[in-house]
Amino acid sequence: MRGFGITSVILAAATVAASPATLAQDTSFAQLERGRYGVITGNCQACHTARGEEPFAGARPMETPFGVIYTPNITFERETGLGQWTREDFWQAMHNGRSRDGSQLYPAFPYPHFTRMPREEVDAIYDYLSTLPQVKKEKPENDLPFPLNIRLAVKGWNMLFFDPGPFEPDPGKSEAWNRGAYLVHGPGHCAGCHSEKNLLGADKESGDLRGGRLEHWSAPNIRGGENGGLADWSHEDIVEFLQTGRNRHSAAFSSMAEVIAYSTQHMCEKDLQAIALYLKSLDDEPRDQPDAPDEAVMTAGQSIYADNCSACHTSDGSGVPRFFAPLAGSGKVRNPDATTVIRVILEGARSVPTNARPTPLSMPAFGWKLDDSQIAAVATYIRNSWDNASGAISAGDVEALRQQLAE
Amino acid sequence: MGTMLASPAFARTIAGLPWSPAQTSTPQSLVGQHFLTAAEKHCLDALTGRLIPSDEYGPGAPEAGVTTFIDRQLAGFFGRGDRWYMQAPFRDGIPGQGYQSEHAPAQLYRRALASLDAFCRATFGGRLYAELETEAQDELLRQMEAGDLSLEGVSAETFFGLLWENTIEGFFCDPLYGGNRDMVGWKLVGFPGARYDYRDVLDHNGAPVRLEPVGLMGGPQWRVD
Ligand code: HEC
Ligand code: HEC
Ligand code: HEC
Repeated sequence: MRGFGITSVILAAATVAASPATLAQDTSFAQLERGRYGVITGNCQACHTARGEEPFAGARPMETPFGVIYTPNITFERETGLGQWTREDFWQAMHNGRSRDGSQLYPAFPYPHFTRMPREEVDAIYDYLSTLPQVKKEKPENDLPFPLNIRLAVKGWNMLFFDPGPFEPDPGKSEAWNRGAYLVHGPGHCAGCHSEKNLLGADKESGDLRGGRLEHWSAPNIRGGENGGLADWSHEDIVEFLQTGRNRHSAAFSSMAEVIAYSTQHMCEKDLQAIALYLKSLDDEPRDQPDAPDEAVMTAGQSIYADNCSACHTSDGSGVPRFFAPLAGSGKVRNPDATTVIRVILEGARSVPTNARPTPLSMPAFGWKLDDSQIAAVATYIRNSWDNASGAISAGDVEALRQQLAE
Repeated sequence: MGTMLASPAFARTIAGLPWSPAQTSTPQSLVGQHFLTAAEKHCLDALTGRLIPSDEYGPGAPEAGVTTFIDRQLAGFFGRGDRWYMQAPFRDGIPGQGYQSEHAPAQLYRRALASLDAFCRATFGGRLYAELETEAQDELLRQMEAGDLSLEGVSAETFFGLLWENTIEGFFCDPLYGGNRDMVGWKLVGFPGARYDYRDVLDHNGAPVRLEPVGLMGGPQWRVD
């Protein structure tokens, strides 16, 4: 890239007017708009912004299985940000997970998904980022026990599991379906949370979307075809959820709340339709029927539910759609991995505020008044009542999560 | 090792009203806090046991833990009068003006219980209030209520007013605070406890609605075993 004195779109536009021949390629409105939209689809802002601080200036702590690492500054400030990066440097990071000095980046940076983005898209993101206000901000030292070894371990991990290369459309499918598949597996990195991981942290079956767990949240199965977690959701339901944070089935409140707040609510409706179309095309195997839980636990669970939960979620589990999620049929409640259910009961929840639905509703925390066996009982009750049949939760499961969250 | 992709450690940057996970303002049960001595508790059991005695309708105040309730309250901000204006001058005031004593509630109890027992010892041949026949105990309570008993260094009438109020509170409070043990007070009057949803029983067609009472920390029906 030549001449990076340009720091804002307005300035860029003025320069373009002055010498259209030299810079029009990089800073045209269309190119910057493409980059801006690419940043939305990749949810860059959520991870690269410390709480309440300048956007894109990084320094946000992220928990990984190895310890806490901080996101870098991706404004184009020269000393602390990407100011000295070339387009090629940026492509190497986004496409191959390699930093400017050649070191291996942790896949906490979702480059295993961003690698599906074509070169032109990545260049547009680079151009757009170059126009943002430059912020001088050093990132704190990572809190990793053996940083060097871990970067090496990631190299090994990459050799085994990393499959670089842009998205290849399926010619047998429609343009919209391919767009949906690209957004889900590429910039949207939905599988990063919604797929199970193997021991080394790679998606088990490359992005199968059958449910996963991240940072003490379990993300449910989001396959929308027969037997999928979203089998009961219509196209419109999926679009509404990603656009407003809520629909008649559910509302987002966890790490998914950030995905919606910074990314999907800003996507155009056509892209959300494409995601819905793609997810609805994914069938799944029927689920195993777990054993019916202990009668006494269900009885206690029912009382706890009646006295604590039914006021909002109603005794027949039908809830108040778009305000208090129905628990009957909820994908989060029926998820074989009950982490999210237990956590919501322990800590409470707040539905994500969005432009369309700016007023969030909250659920109070119950961790202070229900002990582990009571939380297990009420979780077991909601997972095995109405038409839900998802197996029992033990007091030990609750105790373990309570401890992890306290750390 | 679970996963390498990580999500932000702080998930609270989204706009909207402030909300933090796992943050609740919890009730202060004051468990384990004590103010009263054994002798004072003995006297208080006898007093509250005459105000709400055990009878054919069920257990009375001492059995319901009213003394435990009052003991904990006196050990906390209530006992210290923290939320009241407690500066001189101290004048009698009119009844509508509320608490007028120069003694914060805990000290009022301490003085009144000591004076009452001293009065009884002097008047009833060395016996404490708790050792009197119930008729004599009731008579003393009546005199205190009417302002006809003079106790050394404290207004018996003021003490009676506070004692009566606190006894009722201890008998009907949430069991979390030490009184209303096994929800005996609520069972007596048919109060179903701290519930906030009656939609399931709205169509009762005039029949009495009998719900097992539930406290803030639940009840036997929440026990898993
Ligand atoms: C899930 C959180 C997350 C998201 C989303 C994310 N990043 Fe990052 N990014 C990280 C982390 C963590 C690192 C640091 C990795 C390391 O230190 O090995 C990083 C590193 C980078 C780097 C390397 C910088 C350097 O100094 O080496 C670039 C460039 C980058 N991200 C750009 C982006 C862009 C552009 C987007 C959006 C398309 C994006 N990131 C989205 C978490 C994220
Ligand atoms: C004051 C109302 C209120 C009470 C009481 C309440 N919740 Fe919630 N609940 C909510 C709100 C608000 C959400 C978050 C938004 C949403 O999911 O609709 C939620 C979400 C949930 C979810 C996630 C469901 C999904 O599919 O999104 C579960 C599970 C849940 N609550 C269980 C319980 C249990 C169990 C209790 C009792 C121990 C309880 N809730 C009590 C309001 C309440
Ligand atoms: C950072 C992790 C993360 C990412 C990335 C992510 N999700 Fe989620 N998602 C979750 C979690 C955790 C939940 C469950 C809790 C909640 O709703 O807040 C969830 C819930 C959902 C639900 C509701 C499912 C149900 O049964 O109620 C849908 C639909 C969904 N996500 C779709 C997506 C799509 C589409 C993408 C990609 C654009 C995506 N998610 C990316 C973590 C993530």
